[in-house]
Amino acid sequence: MRRRSHILRHLVMALVCALMLIPFYWVAKTAVTNENIYAYPPRILPLKPHLYNFVDVWYLIPFARYFANSVIVSLIAVAGNIVFNAAAGYALTKNFAGKRIVVLLFLSCMLIPFQATIIPAYLVSARLGVLNSYLGLALPLLSTIVCIFVFKAAFEAIPASLQQAARIDGLGELRILFRIMLPLAKPAIATNIILSFIWSWNAFLWPLIITRDVTMQTLPLGLARFLAYVEDTTGALYAFVCMVLLPGIIVFLMAQKEFIRGLTSGATKG
Amino acid sequence: MNTAPSQRAGAAGSADAVAPPVRAADWYRRKRTREAMLVACFLLPSLMIFFLYRILPLGWNVILSFEYWSPLKAARFAGLDNYAEMFLEDDVFWQALTNTLIFILASPIAILLALAVALAVNSDLKGAAIYRTIIFLSYPLMSVAVGIVWRWLYDERGGFINFVLRGTGLIKEPIPFLQSFGWALPSVILADIWQVVGFYMIILLTGLQSIPQHLYEAARIDGAPASARFLRITLPMLRPSLFICAVIGILNSFTAFDLVYVMTGGGPAHATELLVTHIYNMGFGETRFDYAAALTVVQFTLLVILTFLANRAVGGNAGSVESA
Amino acid sequence: MSTRAILTSRFFVVPAIAIATLIAWNLYVAAHAHGEVSGKVVRADGAPARGATVILYERNLTSHFLEKTRTTTDAAGEFRFKDNRSHQIRLDTIGPDGRQGQPRILRLWFAAQDVDLRRPLVVSPSKN
Repeated sequence: MRRRSHILRHLVMALVCALMLIPFYWVAKTAVTNENIYAYPPRILPLKPHLYNFVDVWYLIPFARYFANSVIVSLIAVAGNIVFNAAAGYALTKNFAGKRIVVLLFLSCMLIPFQATIIPAYLVSARLGVLNSYLGLALPLLSTIVCIFVFKAAFEAIPASLQQAARIDGLGELRILFRIMLPLAKPAIATNIILSFIWSWNAFLWPLIITRDVTMQTLPLGLARFLAYVEDTTGALYAFVCMVLLPGIIVFLMAQKEFIRGLTSGATKG
Repeated sequence: MNTAPSQRAGAAGSADAVAPPVRAADWYRRKRTREAMLVACFLLPSLMIFFLYRILPLGWNVILSFEYWSPLKAARFAGLDNYAEMFLEDDVFWQALTNTLIFILASPIAILLALAVALAVNSDLKGAAIYRTIIFLSYPLMSVAVGIVWRWLYDERGGFINFVLRGTGLIKEPIPFLQSFGWALPSVILADIWQVVGFYMIILLTGLQSIPQHLYEAARIDGAPASARFLRITLPMLRPSLFICAVIGILNSFTAFDLVYVMTGGGPAHATELLVTHIYNMGFGETRFDYAAALTVVQFTLLVILTFLANRAVGGNAGSVESA
Repeated sequence: MSTRAILTSRFFVVPAIAIATLIAWNLYVAAHAHGEVSGKVVRADGAPARGATVILYERNLTSHFLEKTRTTTDAAGEFRFKDNRSHQIRLDTIGPDGRQGQPRILRLWFAAQDVDLRRPLVVSPSKN
């Protein structure tokens, strides 16, 4: 009885997984297809698969430029997130006047989707003079509320006796943070890196609004642009999609645990 | 910041701090101010960012929505003109509002699917971790790329969906899903569900795993059937997670911008226009920042109301602000 | 965390492999991107075609081929281009008798890749 229910469940799960994976397969297949991709009926297995579509993409668009822009913006965002969130998370482990208000402020900010702020955010960036710059691209992503709470929880889990021992040894607050707290909060750092990386890597609407030059465009923008002006019967567009998706998939598979931990710890915080 | 040695006993933050030895009162006060300075310096960068890109914009939106304003003209008080135009003259707004609501109302389908998957994966099933990874895989991917993937799946000639439907004889003529008025919105919603279902599943899994096992054991001893165990234990205990899923579903009507932009661009004839795409078009397509701000205010109000309703629906204070 | 633990963690290994591959590939490309395209032209009977014209077309962005340069084969039927800059080229041949051979499209792994045709180009194909 139990066995049979297990087999049934495996079958259902296999089906669900197949449904989840088919889109990936279809695009990967199209990316290596040799013939006209619009031919009907499409082949399930490509006839003479080749990788030259990827070469075409490389020379059709400034892929390296987009990639480098994406990497730079993500690096700025990740660095900012680690520094600012760790600092804010550490501050929140202290008692101070107005702490409740600050926490409440953070929690309510979590409910404001960034997409609901685009018009003024654009105007703010214009006033700051960071339109069309790496800093401007990364600025709204420099700190993440979820990650602040991840750090706060990690710091609070560290036994207070460790901090006290350090204080008695005469370490200053900054040294305590760097020597004791941060090394013990490595999982929180990892969560921070992965969350902020994926969010800035995938960001589309904000770069769409504040970049003007092609030279400042990030990968998602490049992809949308390519879609708009290439009507091709080869799989070049889908090769591009694969080149964009692959880094994301690799990063996710590498750091799945940290990513899920970050998302769920944010979720349980309301 | 301060590397001066000694005299750091008893941080105010740690509850079980040892009482500092009696010292001069002014030293104690100095230490207090130093700590307050530290807290302020540490919080400031994050607070600045959230102020500049969350709180200030929220207020600015409200102000802009009552003004005639464009980047080159001085602001003029407009009263409710923007709102009047929106509600009385802008057909696209109503279309976008309806579509947004449909989009949000479709999220329970995704949540139910995710719940089924989470229940299946949560048990002692072998390989559950692999299933979980595969189902979650689509969530962290770039939505723009996902949009192009699905655009291709829906394609009339080379697309997988038409290929399967025609191959199995369900339809004779290919359906141009994303170009037809009736099909476009459901098609986009399906793609969106495909992307977020894994996220719902993860949230629900966390919820399931936090249910104490002894509740089930007690119920089993009492002879409660599986359905009763599900209805009496699992569902009530999952309420906070379900609430979070509902909020994500509501927020999703904002974040779906990427998908819609790439898949249909809001077309055909605004059939897939969401409020967020309408806001973008008004603000950055026609540079009517004031009107776009008014639209944003309406959508944000909608979001707050729906979140409140969802909170009520799951029975009050689920996911309420945790005391820090 | 010890240095050893960092060096063996996947967060170090995977990017390291990616970067190493990237560097190796770029070195390979740099060493093989002289734009030299060489090969041989034969007649239908397999004999080397002397004095045949070989035309090099480069593909541009709108998937048309544009003539770049042309050359003639030597006594052994061999030819060599030195200035291909494209990643996708077409080679046309015109025999000494003025008859056209089968054009050959070459897709290269990177622009200006050095190639040596293994199968010779054939002019005056036996079937007309």
